Amino acid sequence: MNDTAAEAGRLAVWVGLRKAWAVSSKDMRIYYFQPAVLIFGLVFPVAIFFAFMIGRDVDAVSLFPGLIALTLFFSTTTVAPFSVPWEKMNRTFERLLFAPLSMSEAVLGKVISAFLFGLVVSIFPLLIGIIFFGSSIEDWAALVLGLFLGSLCMATMGMLVSTVRADTPPKVMMVLNVVRLPLMFMSGIFIAIPTLPYYGRVIAWFSPVSYCTDLFYRGLGFRDYFGLLTSVLMLIAFTAAMFFASVLRMRAWNR
Amino acid sequence: MNTSIEVNGLTKYYGQLLAVDRVSFEVETGEIFGFLGPNGAGKTTTLRMLTNLTRPSEGSALILGMDTVRDSLRIKSVVGIVPEASNVFNELTTVSNLTFTGALYGMRRGQRAGRAAELTGLFDLEAHRNRKAAELSLGLKRRLTIAMSLMHRPSVVFLDEPTSGLDVESSRLIRDIVRDLHRNGVTVFITTHNMEEANQLCHRIAVIDHGNLIAVDTPERLKQAATEAQAVEVAFDRNLDPGEEEALSRLPCVSELRALGDKYRLIASDPPCVLEAIYPFMNERGLKPVSLNTFGPSLEDVFVKLTGKGKEQPANE
Repeated sequence: MNDTAAEAGRLAVWVGLRKAWAVSSKDMRIYYFQPAVLIFGLVFPVAIFFAFMIGRDVDAVSLFPGLIALTLFFSTTTVAPFSVPWEKMNRTFERLLFAPLSMSEAVLGKVISAFLFGLVVSIFPLLIGIIFFGSSIEDWAALVLGLFLGSLCMATMGMLVSTVRADTPPKVMMVLNVVRLPLMFMSGIFIAIPTLPYYGRVIAWFSPVSYCTDLFYRGLGFRDYFGLLTSVLMLIAFTAAMFFASVLRMRAWNR
Repeated sequence: MNTSIEVNGLTKYYGQLLAVDRVSFEVETGEIFGFLGPNGAGKTTTLRMLTNLTRPSEGSALILGMDTVRDSLRIKSVVGIVPEASNVFNELTTVSNLTFTGALYGMRRGQRAGRAAELTGLFDLEAHRNRKAAELSLGLKRRLTIAMSLMHRPSVVFLDEPTSGLDVESSRLIRDIVRDLHRNGVTVFITTHNMEEANQLCHRIAVIDHGNLIAVDTPERLKQAATEAQAVEVAFDRNLDPGEEEALSRLPCVSELRALGDKYRLIASDPPCVLEAIYPFMNERGLKPVSLNTFGPSLEDVFVKLTGKGKEQPANE
Protein backbone atom coordinates (compact mmCIF):
# COMPACT_ATOMS: atom_id res chain seq x y z
CA MET A 1 0.00 0.00 0.00
CA ASN A 2 2.82 2.37 0.98
CA ASP A 3 4.78 1.37 -2.14
CA THR A 4 1.74 2.13 -4.26
CA ALA A 5 1.33 5.53 -2.62
CA ALA A 6 5.03 6.30 -3.09
CA GLU A 7 4.83 5.23 -6.74
CA ALA A 8 1.76 7.45 -7.24
CA GLY A 9 3.60 10.31 -5.57
CA ARG A 10 6.65 9.88 -7.85
CA LEU A 11 4.38 9.73 -10.89
CA ALA A 12 2.58 12.90 -9.81
CA VAL A 13 5.92 14.70 -9.40
CA TRP A 14 7.06 13.51 -12.84
CA VAL A 15 3.81 14.60 -14.48
CA GLY A 16 4.05 17.94 -12.68
CA LEU A 17 7.60 18.46 -13.95
CA ARG A 18 6.48 17.66 -17.50
CA LYS A 19 3.73 20.25 -17.24
CA ALA A 20 6.17 22.83 -15.87
CA TRP A 21 8.49 22.02 -18.76
CA ALA A 22 5.60 22.60 -21.20
CA VAL A 23 5.25 26.13 -19.77
CA SER A 24 9.01 26.69 -20.02
CA SER A 25 9.34 25.51 -23.61
CA LYS A 26 6.40 27.68 -24.62
CA ASP A 27 8.03 30.69 -22.93
CA MET A 28 11.31 29.99 -24.70
CA ARG A 29 9.61 30.02 -28.09
CA ILE A 30 7.62 33.16 -27.38
CA TYR A 31 9.75 35.41 -25.19
CA TYR A 32 13.46 34.73 -25.71
CA PHE A 33 13.63 36.88 -28.80
CA GLN A 34 11.23 39.62 -27.76
CA PRO A 35 12.94 43.02 -28.21
CA ALA A 36 12.22 44.03 -24.60
CA VAL A 37 13.85 40.86 -23.28
CA LEU A 38 16.91 41.29 -25.51
CA ILE A 39 17.33 44.97 -24.63
CA PHE A 40 16.80 44.69 -20.87
CA GLY A 41 18.44 41.28 -20.61
CA LEU A 42 21.47 41.61 -22.90
CA VAL A 43 22.12 45.13 -24.16
CA PHE A 44 21.53 46.74 -20.77
CA PRO A 45 24.18 44.81 -18.77
CA VAL A 46 26.80 45.06 -21.53
CA ALA A 47 26.20 48.83 -21.84
CA ILE A 48 26.39 49.31 -18.06
CA PHE A 49 29.57 47.26 -17.90
CA PHE A 50 31.35 49.23 -20.60
CA ALA A 51 30.11 52.50 -19.11
CA PHE A 52 31.84 51.44 -15.90
CA MET A 53 35.01 50.03 -17.47
CA ILE A 54 35.91 52.51 -20.22
CA GLY A 55 38.28 55.23 -19.09
CA ARG A 56 39.22 53.46 -15.86
CA ASP A 57 42.66 52.10 -15.27
CA VAL A 58 41.62 48.59 -14.25
CA ASP A 59 42.69 45.14 -15.34
CA ALA A 60 39.96 43.81 -17.65
CA VAL A 61 40.40 40.26 -16.37
CA SER A 62 39.48 41.32 -12.84
CA LEU A 63 36.17 42.70 -14.15
CA PHE A 64 34.96 39.51 -15.83
CA PRO A 65 33.46 37.89 -12.69
CA GLY A 66 31.39 41.06 -12.32
CA LEU A 67 30.41 41.08 -16.01
CA ILE A 68 29.28 37.44 -15.85
CA ALA A 69 27.27 38.18 -12.69
CA LEU A 70 25.76 41.31 -14.24
CA THR A 71 24.78 39.47 -17.43
CA LEU A 72 23.32 36.59 -15.44
CA PHE A 73 21.47 38.97 -13.13
CA PHE A 74 19.93 41.08 -15.89
CA SER A 75 19.13 38.29 -18.33
CA THR A 76 17.43 35.94 -15.85
CA THR A 77 15.46 38.64 -14.08
CA THR A 78 14.05 39.99 -17.36
CA VAL A 79 12.14 36.98 -18.69
CA ALA A 80 9.36 36.50 -16.09
CA PRO A 81 8.71 40.25 -15.52
CA PHE A 82 8.01 40.47 -19.23
CA SER A 83 6.11 37.22 -19.81
CA VAL A 84 3.87 37.17 -16.71
CA PRO A 85 2.27 40.63 -17.10
CA TRP A 86 2.13 40.09 -20.88
CA GLU A 87 0.11 36.94 -20.35
CA LYS A 88 -2.04 38.52 -17.67
CA MET A 89 -2.72 41.45 -20.00
CA ASN A 90 -3.68 39.15 -22.90
CA ARG A 91 -5.48 36.77 -20.53
CA THR A 92 -3.35 33.89 -21.79
CA PHE A 93 -2.11 33.24 -18.26
CA GLU A 94 -5.65 31.99 -17.64
CA ARG A 95 -4.80 29.13 -19.99
CA LEU A 96 -2.47 27.82 -17.29
CA LEU A 97 -5.20 28.23 -14.68
CA PHE A 98 -7.75 26.33 -16.80
CA ALA A 99 -5.45 23.31 -16.86
CA PRO A 100 -4.79 20.86 -14.03
CA LEU A 101 -1.59 22.70 -13.22
CA SER A 102 -0.79 23.77 -9.67
CA MET A 103 0.46 27.31 -9.10
CA SER A 104 3.80 25.83 -7.99
CA GLU A 105 4.13 24.06 -11.35
CA ALA A 106 3.19 27.21 -13.26
CA VAL A 107 5.74 29.27 -11.31
CA LEU A 108 8.38 26.56 -11.74
CA GLY A 109 7.77 26.59 -15.49
CA LYS A 110 8.29 30.34 -15.60
CA VAL A 111 11.44 30.07 -13.46
CA ILE A 112 12.97 27.31 -15.60
CA SER A 113 12.66 29.31 -18.83
CA ALA A 114 14.37 32.32 -17.20
CA PHE A 115 17.00 30.04 -15.60
CA LEU A 116 17.97 28.52 -18.96
CA PHE A 117 18.01 31.91 -20.66
CA GLY A 118 20.41 33.32 -18.05
CA LEU A 119 22.55 30.22 -18.07
CA VAL A 120 23.09 30.26 -21.83
CA VAL A 121 23.56 34.03 -22.07
CA SER A 122 26.10 34.22 -19.22
CA ILE A 123 28.31 31.60 -20.89
CA PHE A 124 29.18 34.21 -23.55
CA PRO A 125 31.04 36.71 -21.30
CA LEU A 126 32.77 33.74 -19.67
CA LEU A 127 33.98 32.48 -23.06
CA ILE A 128 34.98 35.99 -24.15
CA GLY A 129 36.98 36.40 -20.94
CA ILE A 130 38.73 33.07 -21.40
CA ILE A 131 39.39 33.32 -25.17
CA PHE A 132 40.20 37.01 -25.63
CA PHE A 133 41.34 38.29 -22.22
CA GLY A 134 43.12 35.33 -20.67
CA SER A 135 40.73 34.64 -17.77
CA SER A 136 41.17 31.19 -16.32
CA ILE A 137 38.93 28.92 -14.30
CA GLU A 138 40.62 28.14 -10.98
CA ASP A 139 37.68 26.60 -9.12
CA TRP A 140 35.29 24.74 -11.39
CA ALA A 141 32.90 23.85 -8.59
CA ALA A 142 32.46 27.47 -7.52
CA LEU A 143 31.97 28.62 -11.10
CA VAL A 144 29.46 25.92 -12.01
CA LEU A 145 27.56 26.33 -8.74
CA GLY A 146 27.57 30.08 -9.28
CA LEU A 147 26.13 29.68 -12.76
CA PHE A 148 23.46 27.13 -11.82
CA LEU A 149 22.38 28.35 -8.39
CA GLY A 150 22.85 31.99 -9.33
CA SER A 151 20.72 31.63 -12.44
CA LEU A 152 18.04 29.77 -10.51
CA CYS A 153 18.03 32.36 -7.73
CA MET A 154 17.91 35.35 -10.10
CA ALA A 155 15.16 33.67 -12.19
CA THR A 156 13.11 33.25 -9.03
CA MET A 157 13.75 36.88 -8.11
CA GLY A 158 12.43 37.91 -11.55
CA MET A 159 9.37 35.75 -10.95
CA LEU A 160 8.75 37.38 -7.58
CA VAL A 161 9.03 40.88 -9.10
CA SER A 162 6.58 39.86 -11.85
CA THR A 163 3.89 39.29 -9.20
CA VAL A 164 3.62 43.01 -8.40
CA ARG A 165 0.20 44.48 -8.96
CA ALA A 166 0.80 46.00 -12.38
CA ASP A 167 -1.11 45.22 -15.53
CA THR A 168 1.44 45.81 -18.30
CA PRO A 169 5.05 44.70 -18.93
CA PRO A 170 6.46 48.28 -18.93
CA LYS A 171 5.07 48.92 -15.43
CA VAL A 172 6.59 45.69 -14.12
CA MET A 173 9.89 46.47 -15.88
CA MET A 174 9.94 49.81 -14.09
CA VAL A 175 9.53 48.08 -10.72
CA LEU A 176 12.17 45.55 -11.77
CA ASN A 177 14.72 48.25 -12.47
CA VAL A 178 13.96 49.94 -9.16
CA VAL A 179 14.95 46.64 -7.55
CA ARG A 180 17.85 45.78 -9.86
CA LEU A 181 19.82 49.00 -9.94
CA PRO A 182 20.48 49.26 -6.16
CA LEU A 183 21.24 45.52 -5.99
CA MET A 184 23.76 45.97 -8.81
CA PHE A 185 25.78 48.38 -6.64
CA MET A 186 25.49 46.49 -3.35
CA SER A 187 26.48 43.05 -4.66
CA GLY A 188 30.14 43.35 -5.53
CA ILE A 189 29.59 43.41 -9.28
CA PHE A 190 31.91 46.33 -10.05
CA ILE A 191 34.08 46.16 -6.95
CA ALA A 192 34.74 42.77 -5.35
CA ILE A 193 33.08 42.40 -1.95
CA PRO A 194 36.33 41.92 0.02
CA THR A 195 37.50 45.35 -1.20
CA LEU A 196 34.24 47.14 -0.35
CA PRO A 197 34.15 49.42 2.70
CA TYR A 198 32.75 47.92 5.91
CA TYR A 199 29.18 49.17 5.42
CA GLY A 200 29.25 47.84 1.83
CA ARG A 201 30.26 44.39 3.05
CA VAL A 202 27.41 44.42 5.59
CA ILE A 203 24.83 45.47 2.99
CA ALA A 204 26.10 42.78 0.59
CA TRP A 205 24.82 40.07 2.94
CA PHE A 206 21.23 41.13 2.11
CA SER A 207 21.55 40.75 -1.65
CA PRO A 208 21.28 37.29 -3.25
CA VAL A 209 23.33 38.63 -6.17
CA SER A 210 26.34 39.01 -3.81
CA TYR A 211 26.68 35.25 -3.29
CA CYS A 212 26.50 34.55 -7.00
CA THR A 213 29.12 37.23 -7.76
CA ASP A 214 31.33 35.95 -4.96
CA LEU A 215 31.25 32.43 -6.45
CA PHE A 216 32.34 33.83 -9.83
CA TYR A 217 35.27 35.69 -8.24
CA ARG A 218 36.30 32.49 -6.53
CA GLY A 219 35.78 30.43 -9.70
CA LEU A 220 37.99 32.74 -11.77
CA GLY A 221 40.78 32.73 -9.22
CA PHE A 222 40.06 35.89 -7.22
CA ARG A 223 39.63 36.28 -3.48
CA ASP A 224 36.07 35.57 -2.34
CA TYR A 225 34.36 36.89 0.77
CA PHE A 226 31.61 34.54 1.94
CA GLY A 227 33.20 31.17 1.19
CA LEU A 228 31.78 28.44 -1.02
CA LEU A 229 29.44 26.80 1.49
CA THR A 230 27.89 30.05 2.75
CA SER A 231 27.28 31.29 -0.78
CA VAL A 232 25.69 28.02 -1.86
CA LEU A 233 23.44 27.82 1.21
CA MET A 234 22.42 31.47 0.97
CA LEU A 235 21.55 31.09 -2.73
CA ILE A 236 19.44 28.02 -1.97
CA ALA A 237 17.73 29.81 0.92
CA PHE A 238 16.98 32.94 -1.15
CA THR A 239 15.71 30.77 -4.03
CA ALA A 240 13.38 28.77 -1.79
CA ALA A 241 12.06 31.87 -0.01
CA MET A 242 11.43 33.80 -3.23
CA PHE A 243 9.86 30.75 -4.93
CA PHE A 244 7.32 30.25 -2.14
CA ALA A 245 6.64 33.97 -1.95
CA SER A 246 5.99 33.96 -5.72
CA VAL A 247 3.58 31.02 -5.44
CA LEU A 248 1.71 32.69 -2.57
CA ARG A 249 1.46 36.00 -4.41
CA MET A 250 0.26 34.33 -7.61
CA ARG A 251 -2.35 32.39 -5.64
CA ALA A 252 -3.52 35.63 -4.03
CA TRP A 253 -3.74 37.27 -7.47
CA ASN A 254 -5.76 34.34 -8.79
CA ARG A 255 -8.28 34.68 -5.96
CA MET B 1 -29.80 10.10 -15.15
CA ASN B 2 -26.62 11.19 -13.31
CA THR B 3 -25.90 14.72 -12.22
CA SER B 4 -22.71 16.31 -13.62
CA ILE B 5 -22.99 19.70 -11.96
CA GLU B 6 -24.60 20.33 -8.58
CA VAL B 7 -24.69 23.90 -7.29
CA ASN B 8 -25.81 24.70 -3.73
CA GLY B 9 -26.32 28.26 -2.56
CA LEU B 10 -23.38 29.64 -4.53
CA THR B 11 -22.78 33.26 -3.57
CA LYS B 12 -20.15 35.79 -4.57
CA TYR B 13 -19.44 39.19 -3.12
CA TYR B 14 -16.99 41.64 -4.70
CA GLY B 15 -16.46 43.93 -1.75
CA GLN B 16 -19.96 45.13 -0.89
CA LEU B 17 -21.37 44.18 -4.29
CA LEU B 18 -23.41 40.99 -4.32
CA ALA B 19 -22.65 39.53 -7.77
CA VAL B 20 -24.28 36.11 -7.32
CA ASP B 21 -26.92 35.46 -4.67
CA ARG B 22 -27.41 31.91 -3.34
CA VAL B 23 -27.73 30.25 -6.72
CA SER B 24 -28.71 26.54 -6.73
CA PHE B 25 -29.33 24.21 -9.67
CA GLU B 26 -28.32 20.86 -11.12
CA VAL B 27 -27.15 19.87 -14.60
CA GLU B 28 -27.67 16.30 -15.78
CA THR B 29 -24.93 14.33 -17.51
CA GLY B 30 -24.98 14.87 -21.26
CA GLU B 31 -27.30 17.85 -21.03
CA ILE B 32 -26.79 21.18 -22.81
CA PHE B 33 -27.59 23.68 -20.09
CA GLY B 34 -27.96 27.36 -20.86
CA PHE B 35 -27.28 30.13 -18.40
CA LEU B 36 -29.19 33.09 -19.76
CA GLY B 37 -29.09 36.67 -18.62
CA PRO B 38 -28.01 40.18 -19.56
CA ASN B 39 -24.44 41.42 -19.11
CA GLY B 40 -23.64 41.90 -15.44
CA ALA B 41 -26.30 39.40 -14.36
CA GLY B 42 -23.74 37.08 -12.76
CA LYS B 43 -23.34 34.48 -15.52
CA THR B 44 -19.58 34.69 -15.92
CA THR B 45 -19.01 34.97 -12.17
CA THR B 46 -21.00 31.77 -11.67
CA LEU B 47 -18.99 30.06 -14.40
CA ARG B 48 -15.71 31.23 -12.86
CA MET B 49 -16.80 29.88 -9.47
CA LEU B 50 -17.73 26.54 -11.02
CA THR B 51 -14.27 26.29 -12.59
CA ASN B 52 -12.53 27.59 -9.43
CA LEU B 53 -11.10 30.60 -11.23
CA THR B 54 -12.88 32.59 -8.51
CA ARG B 55 -13.57 31.37 -4.98
CA PRO B 56 -17.22 31.49 -3.86
CA SER B 57 -17.97 33.68 -0.85
CA GLU B 58 -20.57 31.17 0.30
CA GLY B 59 -22.09 27.92 -0.90
CA SER B 60 -20.53 25.08 -2.83
CA ALA B 61 -20.58 23.27 -6.14
CA LEU B 62 -19.80 19.72 -7.20
CA ILE B 63 -18.62 18.75 -10.67
CA LEU B 64 -18.84 15.01 -11.31
CA GLY B 65 -19.10 14.59 -7.55
CA MET B 66 -15.92 16.59 -6.81
CA ASP B 67 -15.89 19.81 -4.83
CA THR B 68 -14.85 22.76 -7.00
CA VAL B 69 -12.58 24.24 -4.30
CA ARG B 70 -11.10 21.15 -2.64
CA ASP B 71 -10.68 19.04 -5.79
CA SER B 72 -9.84 21.87 -8.15
CA LEU B 73 -7.00 20.16 -10.03
CA ARG B 74 -8.89 16.88 -10.44
CA ILE B 75 -11.86 18.78 -11.79
CA LYS B 76 -9.71 20.75 -14.22
CA SER B 77 -8.40 17.53 -15.72
CA VAL B 78 -11.95 16.54 -16.78
CA VAL B 79 -13.50 19.88 -17.73
CA GLY B 80 -12.89 22.16 -20.70
CA ILE B 81 -13.20 25.90 -20.27
CA VAL B 82 -13.91 28.38 -23.06
CA PRO B 83 -13.67 31.98 -21.80
CA GLU B 84 -15.57 34.86 -23.34
CA ALA B 85 -12.34 36.34 -24.73
CA SER B 86 -10.43 34.14 -27.16
CA ASN B 87 -7.22 33.83 -25.15
CA VAL B 88 -5.00 31.98 -27.58
CA PHE B 89 -1.24 32.57 -27.71
CA ASN B 90 -0.93 34.92 -30.68
CA GLU B 91 2.76 34.13 -31.06
CA LEU B 92 2.15 30.39 -31.54
CA THR B 93 0.71 28.62 -34.56
CA THR B 94 -2.69 26.95 -34.50
CA VAL B 95 -1.13 23.52 -34.01
CA SER B 96 1.32 24.76 -31.36
CA ASN B 97 -1.54 26.29 -29.38
CA LEU B 98 -3.29 22.92 -29.43
CA THR B 99 -0.24 20.81 -28.58
CA PHE B 100 0.82 23.19 -25.81
CA THR B 101 -2.65 22.86 -24.28
CA GLY B 102 -2.36 19.08 -24.53
CA ALA B 103 1.00 19.21 -22.75
CA LEU B 104 -0.59 21.12 -19.86
CA TYR B 105 -2.97 18.19 -19.43
CA GLY B 106 -0.07 15.73 -19.34
CA MET B 107 -0.77 14.26 -22.81
CA ARG B 108 2.16 12.55 -24.51
CA ARG B 109 3.69 13.93 -27.70
CA GLY B 110 2.06 11.35 -30.02
CA GLN B 111 -1.35 11.82 -28.38
CA ARG B 112 -1.06 15.59 -28.71
CA ALA B 113 -0.19 15.49 -32.40
CA GLY B 114 -3.02 13.07 -33.17
CA ARG B 115 -5.63 15.00 -31.22
CA ALA B 116 -4.46 18.31 -32.71
CA ALA B 117 -4.88 16.89 -36.24
CA GLU B 118 -8.33 15.61 -35.32
CA LEU B 119 -9.45 18.96 -33.91
CA THR B 120 -8.07 21.07 -36.77
CA GLY B 121 -10.22 18.88 -39.05
CA LEU B 122 -13.30 19.11 -36.83
CA PHE B 123 -13.03 22.89 -36.55
CA ASP B 124 -12.15 23.41 -40.23
CA LEU B 125 -8.74 24.84 -39.32
CA GLU B 126 -6.55 22.64 -41.54
CA ALA B 127 -5.71 25.49 -43.91
CA HIS B 128 -4.52 27.52 -40.93
CA ARG B 129 -2.51 24.81 -39.12
CA ASN B 130 0.82 26.57 -39.39
CA ARG B 131 -0.36 30.17 -39.25
CA LYS B 132 0.32 32.15 -36.11
CA ALA B 133 -2.83 32.83 -34.12
CA ALA B 134 -2.19 36.57 -34.48
CA GLU B 135 -2.94 36.19 -38.19
CA LEU B 136 -6.29 34.46 -37.66
CA SER B 137 -9.66 36.19 -37.93
CA LEU B 138 -11.93 36.59 -34.90
CA GLY B 139 -14.02 33.60 -35.96
CA LEU B 140 -10.99 31.37 -36.51
CA LYS B 141 -9.52 32.39 -33.15
CA ARG B 142 -12.81 31.51 -31.50
CA ARG B 143 -12.79 28.10 -33.12
CA LEU B 144 -9.20 27.58 -31.97
CA THR B 145 -10.11 28.62 -28.41
CA ILE B 146 -12.89 26.03 -28.31
CA ALA B 147 -10.67 23.39 -29.94
CA MET B 148 -8.03 24.01 -27.23
CA SER B 149 -10.63 23.37 -24.54
CA LEU B 150 -11.43 19.99 -26.09
CA MET B 151 -7.83 18.72 -26.46
CA HIS B 152 -8.06 16.43 -23.42
CA ARG B 153 -11.56 15.08 -24.28
CA PRO B 154 -13.33 16.64 -21.29
CA SER B 155 -16.52 15.22 -19.78
CA VAL B 156 -17.92 18.67 -18.99
CA VAL B 157 -17.41 21.80 -21.12
CA PHE B 158 -18.05 25.35 -19.96
CA LEU B 159 -18.57 27.87 -22.75
CA ASP B 160 -18.84 31.57 -21.97
CA GLU B 161 -20.69 33.39 -24.77
CA PRO B 162 -19.30 30.99 -27.39
CA THR B 163 -20.65 32.71 -30.50
CA SER B 164 -20.61 36.33 -29.36
CA GLY B 165 -19.56 38.65 -32.20
CA LEU B 166 -19.00 35.85 -34.72
CA ASP B 167 -20.00 35.54 -38.36
CA VAL B 168 -22.85 33.22 -39.34
CA GLU B 169 -20.56 30.44 -40.60
CA SER B 170 -18.47 30.26 -37.44
CA SER B 171 -21.55 30.48 -35.19
CA ARG B 172 -23.21 27.63 -37.06
CA LEU B 173 -20.06 25.50 -36.90
CA ILE B 174 -19.74 26.06 -33.17
CA ARG B 175 -23.40 25.19 -32.56
CA ASP B 176 -22.97 21.99 -34.59
CA ILE B 177 -19.93 21.08 -32.51
CA VAL B 178 -21.85 21.70 -29.28
CA ARG B 179 -24.57 19.33 -30.54
CA ASP B 180 -21.86 16.77 -31.40
CA LEU B 181 -20.49 17.06 -27.87
CA HIS B 182 -23.98 16.31 -26.53
CA ARG B 183 -24.27 13.29 -28.82
CA ASN B 184 -20.99 12.02 -27.39
CA GLY B 185 -22.32 12.30 -23.83
CA VAL B 186 -20.44 15.48 -22.90
CA THR B 187 -22.21 17.84 -20.50
CA VAL B 188 -22.24 21.38 -21.87
CA PHE B 189 -22.78 24.50 -19.77
CA ILE B 190 -23.27 27.62 -21.89
CA THR B 191 -23.59 31.16 -20.65
CA THR B 192 -25.19 33.46 -23.18
CA HIS B 193 -27.30 36.54 -23.59
CA ASN B 194 -28.30 35.33 -27.06
CA MET B 195 -31.82 34.01 -26.54
CA GLU B 196 -32.14 32.44 -29.95
CA GLU B 197 -28.93 30.51 -29.40
CA ALA B 198 -30.17 29.27 -26.03
CA ASN B 199 -33.48 28.33 -27.61
CA GLN B 200 -31.83 26.37 -30.44
CA LEU B 201 -29.18 24.58 -28.38
CA CYS B 202 -30.21 24.06 -24.80
CA HIS B 203 -32.23 21.29 -23.22
CA ARG B 204 -32.78 23.43 -20.16
CA ILE B 205 -32.20 27.08 -19.42
CA ALA B 206 -31.55 28.94 -16.19
CA VAL B 207 -32.46 32.61 -16.24
CA ILE B 208 -30.33 34.83 -14.02
CA ASP B 209 -30.69 38.53 -13.36
CA HIS B 210 -28.92 40.72 -10.81
CA GLY B 211 -27.25 37.62 -9.39
CA ASN B 212 -30.57 35.88 -8.69
CA LEU B 213 -31.73 32.71 -10.38
CA ILE B 214 -35.24 33.47 -11.63
CA ALA B 215 -36.21 30.26 -13.41
CA VAL B 216 -34.82 26.90 -14.52
CA ASP B 217 -36.74 24.89 -17.09
CA THR B 218 -36.87 23.68 -20.69
CA PRO B 219 -37.19 26.43 -23.33
CA GLU B 220 -40.68 25.36 -24.29
CA ARG B 221 -41.94 25.21 -20.71
CA LEU B 222 -40.43 28.60 -20.05
CA LYS B 223 -42.26 29.96 -23.06
CA GLN B 224 -45.54 28.75 -21.61
CA ALA B 225 -45.02 31.26 -18.87
CA ALA B 226 -45.58 33.98 -21.47
CA THR B 227 -48.56 32.65 -23.45
CA GLU B 228 -50.10 36.12 -23.50
CA ALA B 229 -47.18 37.11 -25.75
CA GLN B 230 -48.26 34.90 -28.69
CA ALA B 231 -48.89 36.71 -31.95
CA VAL B 232 -50.40 36.66 -35.43
CA GLU B 233 -48.35 38.47 -38.04
CA VAL B 234 -50.04 39.59 -41.22
CA ALA B 235 -48.96 41.54 -44.32
CA PHE B 236 -51.64 42.92 -46.66
CA ASP B 237 -51.52 43.69 -50.39
CA ARG B 238 -51.89 47.42 -49.67
CA ASN B 239 -51.23 49.88 -46.86
CA LEU B 240 -53.98 50.34 -44.27
CA ASP B 241 -55.38 53.77 -43.56
CA PRO B 242 -55.53 54.95 -39.90
CA GLY B 243 -59.15 53.91 -39.56
CA GLU B 244 -58.40 50.40 -40.78
CA GLU B 245 -55.45 50.14 -38.40
CA GLU B 246 -57.74 51.19 -35.56
CA ALA B 247 -60.26 48.50 -36.58
CA LEU B 248 -57.49 45.90 -36.77
CA SER B 249 -56.36 46.70 -33.24
CA ARG B 250 -59.98 46.22 -32.02
CA LEU B 251 -60.34 42.69 -33.38
CA PRO B 252 -61.41 40.13 -30.74
CA CYS B 253 -58.60 38.73 -28.53
CA VAL B 254 -56.02 41.29 -29.76
CA SER B 255 -54.27 42.94 -26.82
CA GLU B 256 -51.79 45.03 -28.80
CA LEU B 257 -51.04 45.97 -32.41
CA ARG B 258 -47.48 46.60 -33.56
CA ALA B 259 -46.60 47.89 -37.04
CA LEU B 260 -43.39 46.18 -38.21
CA GLY B 261 -42.34 47.55 -41.62
CA ASP B 262 -44.92 46.29 -44.14
CA LYS B 263 -46.44 43.89 -41.58
CA TYR B 264 -48.65 44.06 -38.52
CA ARG B 265 -48.12 41.97 -35.42
CA LEU B 266 -51.26 41.32 -33.41
CA ILE B 267 -50.32 40.25 -29.89
CA ALA B 268 -52.82 37.82 -28.43
CA SER B 269 -53.08 35.03 -25.89
CA ASP B 270 -55.34 33.05 -28.28
CA PRO B 271 -54.10 33.22 -31.92
CA PRO B 272 -56.92 30.98 -33.38
CA CYS B 273 -59.44 33.51 -32.07
CA VAL B 274 -57.63 36.26 -33.99
CA LEU B 275 -57.49 34.13 -37.16
CA GLU B 276 -61.28 33.63 -37.02
CA ALA B 277 -61.79 37.38 -36.88
CA ILE B 278 -59.19 38.48 -39.38
CA TYR B 279 -60.76 36.90 -42.50
CA PRO B 280 -64.06 38.80 -42.14
CA PHE B 281 -61.98 41.94 -41.54
CA MET B 282 -60.13 41.42 -44.85
CA ASN B 283 -63.23 40.47 -46.81
CA GLU B 284 -65.14 43.58 -45.68
CA ARG B 285 -62.26 45.85 -46.84
CA GLY B 286 -61.21 44.00 -50.00
CA LEU B 287 -57.80 43.16 -48.52
CA LYS B 288 -55.74 40.15 -49.52
CA PRO B 289 -53.06 38.61 -47.26
CA VAL B 290 -49.51 38.55 -48.66
CA SER B 291 -48.41 36.50 -45.65
CA LEU B 292 -50.10 35.30 -42.50
CA ASN B 293 -48.18 33.58 -39.68
CA THR B 294 -48.72 32.71 -36.05
CA PHE B 295 -45.94 32.94 -33.47
CA GLY B 296 -45.56 31.41 -30.02
CA PRO B 297 -43.90 33.45 -27.30
CA SER B 298 -40.14 33.84 -27.75
CA LEU B 299 -37.55 33.38 -25.01
CA GLU B 300 -37.16 37.13 -25.19
CA ASP B 301 -40.82 37.48 -24.18
CA VAL B 302 -40.20 35.06 -21.34
CA PHE B 303 -37.17 37.02 -20.25
CA VAL B 304 -39.14 40.27 -20.29
CA LYS B 305 -41.91 38.70 -18.27
CA LEU B 306 -39.55 37.12 -15.73
CA THR B 307 -37.29 40.10 -15.24
CA GLY B 308 -39.71 42.91 -15.92
CA LYS B 309 -37.18 44.50 -18.29
CA GLY B 310 -37.90 46.43 -21.49
CA LYS B 311 -38.23 44.19 -24.50
CA GLU B 312 -35.20 45.45 -26.37
CA GLN B 313 -32.92 45.52 -23.34
CA PRO B 314 -31.49 41.99 -23.31
CA ALA B 315 -30.73 42.04 -27.03
CA ASN B 316 -28.79 45.28 -26.72
CA GLU B 317 -26.61 44.18 -23.80
